[in-house]
Amino acid sequence: MIEKILKELSNAVTLGHLKGATEAARRLLTPYAEVSDFGQTGLIAKIDKGQKKTLMLDAHIDEVGFIVTHVFDSGFVKVAPVGGNDPRILPATPVVIHGKTELPAVFASNPPHLKGEEEVKATTDILLDTGLGTEVRELASPGDLISYEKDFTLLSGGRVCGKSLDDRAAVACLVELASRLYDKDLPVNLILCLAEQEELGTRGAVTATFALSPDEAVAIDVSFADGPDIPSTKCGKLGGGAMIGISPILNRKISDLLTDIAKENNIPHQLEVMGGKTGTDADVITISGSGVPCGLISIPLRNMHTPAEVVDMADIAAVCDILEAYILKGGAL
Amino acid sequence: MRELLKRLCAIPAVSGREERLADFILKEIDGFCDAKVDANGNIICHKKGKKPAARRVVLDAHMDEVGIIATSITGDGFVKFVTVGGIEAAVMLARGVTFENGVRGVVGMKPVHLSTPEERKKFPDKDNLYIDVGAADKTEAEALIRLGDTAVFDSTPTIMGDRLRGRAIDDRAGVAVLITLLKAEAEYDYYVTFTVQEEVGTRGAATAAFAVEPDAAILLEATTAADLEGAPEDKTVCRLGEGPALSFMDNGNLYTKKLYDAAISSGLTCQTKQYVSGGNNSRGFALSKGGVETLGISLPCRYIHSPCCLADMRDFEAMLPLAKYMLDALCRGDIK
Repeated sequence: MIEKILKELSNAVTLGHLKGATEAARRLLTPYAEVSDFGQTGLIAKIDKGQKKTLMLDAHIDEVGFIVTHVFDSGFVKVAPVGGNDPRILPATPVVIHGKTELPAVFASNPPHLKGEEEVKATTDILLDTGLGTEVRELASPGDLISYEKDFTLLSGGRVCGKSLDDRAAVACLVELASRLYDKDLPVNLILCLAEQEELGTRGAVTATFALSPDEAVAIDVSFADGPDIPSTKCGKLGGGAMIGISPILNRKISDLLTDIAKENNIPHQLEVMGGKTGTDADVITISGSGVPCGLISIPLRNMHTPAEVVDMADIAAVCDILEAYILKGGAL
Repeated sequence: MRELLKRLCAIPAVSGREERLADFILKEIDGFCDAKVDANGNIICHKKGKKPAARRVVLDAHMDEVGIIATSITGDGFVKFVTVGGIEAAVMLARGVTFENGVRGVVGMKPVHLSTPEERKKFPDKDNLYIDVGAADKTEAEALIRLGDTAVFDSTPTIMGDRLRGRAIDDRAGVAVLITLLKAEAEYDYYVTFTVQEEVGTRGAATAAFAVEPDAAILLEATTAADLEGAPEDKTVCRLGEGPALSFMDNGNLYTKKLYDAAISSGLTCQTKQYVSGGNNSRGFALSKGGVETLGISLPCRYIHSPCCLADMRDFEAMLPLAKYMLDALCRGDIK
């Protein structure tokens, strides 16, 4: 069930003015919550229980991609990255230019005799090939956004692969939590915030948190999972459970409660300790207005910011289980 | 013929594992020629024409494609691999793969966030790449993958205007042209070979040429097009949309001059491959027995040997009349 939701969310595109994943989330959340748009902030889903305290769960809905900066008559296009990317993976990678139509394209891979001095070219120096001639000008223009081609795939062992699992895996958690909790008696009101423009510097969460001014919040994001070439001290373990964030900028009581819940209920979890900023929406939620106590829980993910992000469905379930208990307890404060 | 090419591109056939594609081809050409399969898996076809040919001519396309093969499984359940044929690390990173038994995987990498500035400047060494199939440990991975299993990179054949983007256009383009040719009536008797193991050293061609003993061989292939925006004119090799590329020389063969001359002056759409690079089955044919005359007709292809090759379908369609023209000219004995 969550897998089907995640597939729909992963294959859709929310990037700049493109709102495909946002619309998918709206459809998915509407049966359970009062859903509304929020300026440039994103989508807000409220489950109002008439309580004094309001708890916000945040997951960003946007994804990394590219934007067209120049179009050549030869059908090639130059681009700039939108959000962080790794130019090493781009050669021969298929993408979609969202121009007049959805235009398939592929990043050029220089044949050996055309390779220059620099082994890895900057994203802004790599050509994107539309396969078209001058007619490209009618279909693609500077400012058009570009997403990775969708290809949500089931791997073995309950693991899945696709684009934008950062942070659609967390958005899938929000949908799952809404479906579990909407008809229950809750000690708090719930706000689900699907913030935009996280990848451009956690922008959506800034305005959303200010406008909603919740009493307590938890951001759900993804974090680095293990791989053969990654020091085990710098990552969590895929399939090792929810990564509970601990950092000076996060509220320790929330981190502790999330950990206690996981321990008491035998929910797989691991701690992710950071020395300061977390690189997530939690960084701005905590200092919104006069401050919002905020926790962070993350889903381990491999190959971050590539079209081949990998998550384990069991880790998503663990995050949902911990947060369900946390909400039923009415939060930490 | 475009639809046939898309269907051919969707069938995985890494060198040494061409059986599925061979079965597809045998079904397609059934009833149109005499076909037999040799010890290595080459399909050797004899097409009866209205008249006997003055010279024995064979047309060849290779069935196999580049891919990867599982070599070991790490303690934590990742699959290590080597490439079968030449594939650069850059086009393999963060790409989906499908093994021959249907198991899906992805070539993993350290995320850019955790990479050092030095690491970001280089493509990872091919030896350090690994495939994540979703296994939690070695035992789980061993239940999914046998060492020696091959895989291809995931890539859905996609139409981009008059162009096709996809895997294995090298050399399904040649295969599609020859299937189409075999299905048509022939003026003269001729041979067709669909060969195995081109990408690992033009091995299938050696035995196919030995079996057919042709006087002349026409190789239908794909070759690098480097007509990228801003590329120096003398390094574009050939250009998409300007017709099939005729080779005078590559790293494996000097093509027969009189055949090249006859093709280039045929008046049919074609261009010259203006760079000496690559190699193909022509070397296997050229040196067979007492020597065989060779002609190379190649489909210009950008990003060749990557999961997303790009070729112009008008160039592809122009291969057939050119191949037919040269076949008939050779069979009539016009080119001596």
